Amino acid sequence: MRILLVQPAPFEDARLGLENTFWLSEPVGLTSIGTMVQDDHEVRILDMRLEEPSKLPATLSAFKPDLVGTTAMTTDAYQAKAVMMLAKQLVPDCLTVMGGHHATFMPEFYDEDYVDVVVQGEGELTFEDIVGIWSEGLDSGTKLQTTALAGVQGARTHLPDGSWTEGSKPKWREIDDFPAPDRNLISQYKGQYFFLAAKPLASIFTSRGCSFDCNFCAIWEFYDRKTRFLSAKNIADQMEACEETFLFLLDDNFLTNHSRLVRLCEELEERKLGKYWMTQGRTDFIAKYPDLIARLANVGLAGVLSGYETNDEDALEGLNKRNTLENNRAAAKILRDNGILSTGIFMVRPDFEEKDFDALYDYIKDLGVTFPLVTILTPLPGTEMFRKYRDQLLTEDFRLYDLLHPVIPTKLPREEFYKNFTRYRTVYRESRNGWLTPKVAWKRRDFLRKLLPGMPRTIVQGLKYQKIQFDYRSYLRDEAGIIEDVRPPASGGPDAVTVTS
Amino acid sequence: MSFDARSFLKDLRQEVESHPAVNHTFLARIGTSPFTIEDYKVFGLQHYALVGMFTNYMERLLINAPNTTAKCWLAKVLVDEYGEGSDGDDHTVLYRNFLTSCGVEVGEEDRVVLHTAVRDFIYSHLVLCSQRPFLVGLGALGPGHEWAIPRMFGPIIKGLRRANFSEDDIMYFTLHIGQDEDHALWLEEALASMIKNQEEADQVREGTLASLEARLQFWEGVQEQVVRWRQPGLGLALSERTRQWMAGANGLFGGVSRATAVYRPQIHDLSNRVPIR
Repeated sequence: MRILLVQPAPFEDARLGLENTFWLSEPVGLTSIGTMVQDDHEVRILDMRLEEPSKLPATLSAFKPDLVGTTAMTTDAYQAKAVMMLAKQLVPDCLTVMGGHHATFMPEFYDEDYVDVVVQGEGELTFEDIVGIWSEGLDSGTKLQTTALAGVQGARTHLPDGSWTEGSKPKWREIDDFPAPDRNLISQYKGQYFFLAAKPLASIFTSRGCSFDCNFCAIWEFYDRKTRFLSAKNIADQMEACEETFLFLLDDNFLTNHSRLVRLCEELEERKLGKYWMTQGRTDFIAKYPDLIARLANVGLAGVLSGYETNDEDALEGLNKRNTLENNRAAAKILRDNGILSTGIFMVRPDFEEKDFDALYDYIKDLGVTFPLVTILTPLPGTEMFRKYRDQLLTEDFRLYDLLHPVIPTKLPREEFYKNFTRYRTVYRESRNGWLTPKVAWKRRDFLRKLLPGMPRTIVQGLKYQKIQFDYRSYLRDEAGIIEDVRPPASGGPDAVTVTS
Repeated sequence: MSFDARSFLKDLRQEVESHPAVNHTFLARIGTSPFTIEDYKVFGLQHYALVGMFTNYMERLLINAPNTTAKCWLAKVLVDEYGEGSDGDDHTVLYRNFLTSCGVEVGEEDRVVLHTAVRDFIYSHLVLCSQRPFLVGLGALGPGHEWAIPRMFGPIIKGLRRANFSEDDIMYFTLHIGQDEDHALWLEEALASMIKNQEEADQVREGTLASLEARLQFWEGVQEQVVRWRQPGLGLALSERTRQWMAGANGLFGGVSRATAVYRPQIHDLSNRVPIR
């Protein structure tokens, strides 16, 4: 059986948002499911973020896949639909399979005549079952119908009569029992993935789930409140198998499970891989285990992305973050002292007034994270917050669910809100605790030297992106015609947008 | 042994229907994403230039047609394009109605800077229909258009309906689904009688593929305009921005330069550069 797995392109190249500008990670979701079935089937992966648009129809016509699968987060939800639509248009007999985060939480979004199956939750085992049943049918030479897939665990199947049927919850397995995703499936894109100046970049998943239950995040719900870990040895094996110097460990919360990280340090200290890796983790863990962080830095931990979220204890509690400002401050210092790049994510809330923006930006300037990223609190599908605010949503156009547009009403008029939001450029100019002290630079000289080749591209991209990132009108244009009270100028010119409220 | 034109045409049709231009991801995006009326305005203002030129290509080709079979097919299609079947409104008028429903003001179409890909599409078709052998031009306007358009317009109509345009507003598009299917049938008959050997078949295929290649670039140009009008800070690719700037789009040079940038003068300029033989 011929299987084509497609990572959709962003809905527009120049859109607001960091994806594809500062961070392009390997499509690990697709390599994982492709690896499960590649022994018995011909599997190809197309990463449309790195291809010309014509590549998808050309590949569909030439390869004539029996099955086309794609995946999407919420902002890519429509792009994934476009992939499915094209697949059915060009290869009418192919089975179209939709998976990923958005499909899991809003499966009915994909109730379209060109979608055959929606996989909900983790995909490997469900996909393996689907491929097994479908290929058996193809081999027998009978005309296949999706009825054969009804009841597959984790699958929502579109039946020939137009109705949909859902199987029971997806199966799961310890992560160590899955084969390591075969990165040869994306060998044609080798060297093209990056995080800031870290390029080329490989990507690895070493755990699934999160033991916390923040109300703006759906990870813990996606994994059904279970957290599972790849063993330290297996992580080190996968790191060693990568040719790239830079790695991103994509876990939603890598810095947890102290004993596993100690074992990982032991493995890496013994192997001396000489790799630099970045990941995501909570500040409370960093604050609690400074010695472990120092040890991890010595075996290659070079960057940590953390949700600092806010400057307000009550707000942290409101987010169910189960963390403190004191931890945030301590973590930023520990990372700085160890020469680890810290990327801090902060949220402004739609109910912010000018003084709230001021207070947050002042807090960030003092905190001293390397790359502060200010986002807008967004109720994403699948989260408690989405359920809570659903009746207040200004739009369900998911292209705006990119953490950069308030999709619930703002206290300030939207133009004022965005003017205040884009003032966050000052946190870069006026940061009072820089990262690169001479002492740190000397200590991390090898890491910095290896980053140098990727610097020019990052600087150029950064300068280009700043032009829209810090222009409040960019945000208004994005939502013109989508959020009800924002209209483009009557002349259709690109320079002005009027807000009628 | 006589040449099997029917078999050639069957293969060519398959090639057209699976071509990336006809199945462009931008079209699938229109079919699946909630583009707004403002987005369709940008789309329409670029597409309008092509619509307005189609009869010009046909008329040029008619002059070059070698026999009555070819002339009859071209004349039939032209009669439809002039407004038969749509209450006398020619297709340009129908498209202008669509633009009006997108909020395009009177004369606004004349102030639009066309993307290079739009100009290139028009120029290449003027050349194909005026300066290349007749069958090359016929390939471009026949299979390159009539077999391609119904398939391309399907997702566009879906997107327009999602954006709440009325059926009257989008008549240009819906009319072309049915009408071009008729044209495609007439065309197949005409081509089957005209293609006598491999050389002639090759000419038809050359024109078809040249048209589709221009179409591929056209959709990419329109996509660039549609997705980036919201982000002029980054805006178009540097080369495109430079061209538009030189054409007076920035307003620095006022009337004289701007005159070369707008729709009608651009089209007239292109037409003048490709004389009718």
